[in-house]
Amino acid sequence: MINNIIEFLFFAFSLSAILSYIILALISAVETIDYMKKNSFVNYKEILSSSISPSISIIAPAYNETLNIVENVRSLLSNHYVNYDVIIVNDGSKDDSLEKLIKAYDLVKVDYLINSQIPTKPLREGVFKSTNPAFEKLIVVDKENGGKADALNTGLNISPNKYVACIDVDCLLLEEALQKMIKPFLETTDSKVIAAGGVIRIANSCVIKDGKLLDVNLPKSLIVRGQILEYLRAFLLGRMAWSKLNGLLVISGAFGIFDKKTAIEVGGYDTKTVGEDMEIIVRMRRHMEEQKVKYKVAYIPDPLCWTEAPDSYKIFISQRNRWTRGTIETLRKHRKIGFNRDYHTLGLISYPYWLIYERLAPVIEVTGLIYFLYLLLNHFIRWDYAIVFILLSYLFTVAFSVITIITEELTYHQYKKKGIGFQLLMTAFLEPIINHPFILYAAAKGNYDYYFNKKIKWGEMTRKGMSND
Amino acid sequence: MSEVKKVLLAEDNSVLSLLLKFKLEKEGYQLFIAVNGKEAIEIVEAHSPDIILTDIMMPFVSGLEVISHVRYKLEIQTPIIVFSSAGQEEMVIKAFNLGATDFMSKPFSPNELSIRIKRLMR
Amino acid sequence: MANIYQYCIDYFNDAPIIIQLSWVLSALFAVTLISLIFYLKFLRSTLRTKERIQNVYLKKYESDLIEYLYSGNEDEEMTKEQGIIVNYLHKCAQNRLKRKLIITTLLKLRNEVSGETADAIKRLYYQTGLIDYGTLKLRSKKWEIVARGIKELAQFDVTEVHYNVIAQINHPKKEVRREVQMYLVKLFHFKGLDFLDLLKSQLSEWDQIQLLEILQNFDDQNLPSTTKWLRSKNTSVVLFALKIAKIYNQYDAKDEIIKLLEHPDLNVRIDAIAVLGDLGVFEMVDLLKNNLNEKDIDEQIAFFKMMENMYTPSDVDFLFEYMNHENFDIKVSVNKIFKEMNIQDASKFQINTAPESPPSSTNLIQAS
Repeated sequence: MINNIIEFLFFAFSLSAILSYIILALISAVETIDYMKKNSFVNYKEILSSSISPSISIIAPAYNETLNIVENVRSLLSNHYVNYDVIIVNDGSKDDSLEKLIKAYDLVKVDYLINSQIPTKPLREGVFKSTNPAFEKLIVVDKENGGKADALNTGLNISPNKYVACIDVDCLLLEEALQKMIKPFLETTDSKVIAAGGVIRIANSCVIKDGKLLDVNLPKSLIVRGQILEYLRAFLLGRMAWSKLNGLLVISGAFGIFDKKTAIEVGGYDTKTVGEDMEIIVRMRRHMEEQKVKYKVAYIPDPLCWTEAPDSYKIFISQRNRWTRGTIETLRKHRKIGFNRDYHTLGLISYPYWLIYERLAPVIEVTGLIYFLYLLLNHFIRWDYAIVFILLSYLFTVAFSVITIITEELTYHQYKKKGIGFQLLMTAFLEPIINHPFILYAAAKGNYDYYFNKKIKWGEMTRKGMSND
Repeated sequence: MSEVKKVLLAEDNSVLSLLLKFKLEKEGYQLFIAVNGKEAIEIVEAHSPDIILTDIMMPFVSGLEVISHVRYKLEIQTPIIVFSSAGQEEMVIKAFNLGATDFMSKPFSPNELSIRIKRLMR
Repeated sequence: MANIYQYCIDYFNDAPIIIQLSWVLSALFAVTLISLIFYLKFLRSTLRTKERIQNVYLKKYESDLIEYLYSGNEDEEMTKEQGIIVNYLHKCAQNRLKRKLIITTLLKLRNEVSGETADAIKRLYYQTGLIDYGTLKLRSKKWEIVARGIKELAQFDVTEVHYNVIAQINHPKKEVRREVQMYLVKLFHFKGLDFLDLLKSQLSEWDQIQLLEILQNFDDQNLPSTTKWLRSKNTSVVLFALKIAKIYNQYDAKDEIIKLLEHPDLNVRIDAIAVLGDLGVFEMVDLLKNNLNEKDIDEQIAFFKMMENMYTPSDVDFLFEYMNHENFDIKVSVNKIFKEMNIQDASKFQINTAPESPPSSTNLIQAS
């Protein structure tokens, strides 16, 4: 009897997961077609050159980035937008990042009144600006180490502008990134846009020179290829639907734009979580719901931000481990909104979905595996049943990935070179067998660390150079 | 008539550069076309043109960098005309500070351009 | 062989329903997967071919266009060489993809040149019959085609069909309305702004910026009076009129703008303060000072921001009270003013008459 119940639960979970994927993909398809139509004749040139276009601050925290900091900053400074500045927050780096920046950009220390609306770690060397008019958009802040969230908060305090774009310093932003991302804030008249999220594309093996993406290639490493497919699935078929439902719960920490006033109102980034990028969106949404203001979190599906993905299993696992802990922390902190009618879509759809299909999925999967092992050891396995279930889920996963690839071809078609199509297909077949176990392991470890390992260290992501020439 | 005058055109709009190439070649100049700032710098170094026409906003290396390279790295006084679009006034000022000789705001008339070139070559 | 087949059938029939369902679904997914793979292969090669063809045609059309422009002369409406090119392009225009490529080519050049050349390109647009396809788009049932059609007609300055375009001004899709607005302003300049009189929907910030950018391409001296828009019931129109007043320095509108200081919408009040400052309307400073503390904090911030450029020596006592205001922005503005006045001690102040010289650009060696 108990066996039947367990089996039924597993079955219900898998079936509903599959259904939810299909539904989200369908919504995404409709929304993507609509987006493509609307954007087929938009002229971004006018916004770009207009002096009355709103001002944006790019905030990029940097910690021990000496290897590429000068080049990364140059790339951020070459955006084709008029009213923006770049705030580099040197978060107590122990290397010579600051010296390098001072030398490369003729920086001098300036008196800068900071409106400390969000408490942060104190400044170390202070605020720097360039004496060279060519770099007048650059502000460098040197502060004591306080982690990424703390560095972003310092940037929020310093920014004089209405909007802030929070990004990873090693991201490559395409020239038109800012004007495309700012569009939803400017054109929405019936509700308040509090944030807009962008797409992250993986830059491994791509040719990047002088801050420009010259050539898109598919990396050789299977782990990176797997992530490419994973990102495509999430961005093309997942988030697009969530934005349509106005239920987007997360904006990639690597690239998102916020309404500064709202971000400060809710107290900025939470320095106590490892999932600060998800947490701030949930908190901002919660705040808007509680204020009863009509609001929106927008999403721009164009590939505007390219970044390096981890290419070693060790770093990959520690990254996913951190993501898992971030999700758990955020969901626990905002438990109140879950299944709560006062929070509308946020409480009734987004939160439950994240809880069940993101938060609990690895737990359920591990439980399933243990149960399977138990059956196996006791020779209870009906192999034909097992095989058909495995086959079914495998085929669905692969088919879903292939649909993702097709969507990419029909929309952005970034992987133009001959042969990549076949390689992506192979990845779709191999990924569930080779990459998935690592993701599952990392998620399980994240759960373990969260509950039992109190002094976990932050996973450090050793970065490789962006420019590969 | 002395030797043929060499003109460097750095412009990423292929139709416009084709149009100007025809026009200026018909008027007896020898044309070098660059599609970005980097190529422009290479051509300047290899062929030392008599006049440089460059767009301000170009991929890879901007027109401003071309000017600064010519004036400060190579230290030559070849006349430089920059093309700008509406709303790039700030850039034009920067270009003049760097040593641009003249500027034309897009959209411009090709005839006017050829008159200005003639005047600068004298 | 038959045995195995029979065995499979029996196995299937004997299995529980859930297993049967799973097998059926698996087979379904497998078939889907295989067709998807073939489709992907087909799609990728089509896209590659299409791109190749496009590049070839674009090159061809570019050189055709240039040849057309250089084979004309002043005596004839159309020379023999031009006739050949027009006929060729006319034929190509029957194909949708080729039509799109020709238009792309024409616009690529037309956006960058003016004068005779631009006129000649427009002539070619008419001669090749492309204009007919363009106007036909206005009648499409699909909104995106209508919008694209209007945009195209605006880019070629086609005024003849403006009645058909204006007919779409209240189109349910905002994307279409936006194109109509831009069409009107691009072709009729300030006169095109008349649609604001009747506008019911909100003109978004994005729309406003686009329209202002188009207007800035003309050095038209016939500025319209913004009075009626400043009085509009549509808040977005008021905000837009304020922007026009600011950009075109409409000092005459000051009385109307002063009235807006009491407008029900906060953003209008804030912008009005800033614009009055930009116009240099000193009389409103005292007006605002009187009931400043009753105003919204954002209005107060805007007021002090505006004062950065509007202060006079007589304001010192007033400003002094705000030197340590609890609001950061107000404090910064006031301190900035004092710094500029060069005041160390409030009792013996002097105004720094020489404006701060802009940072010299001589050390600009390498520009980004």
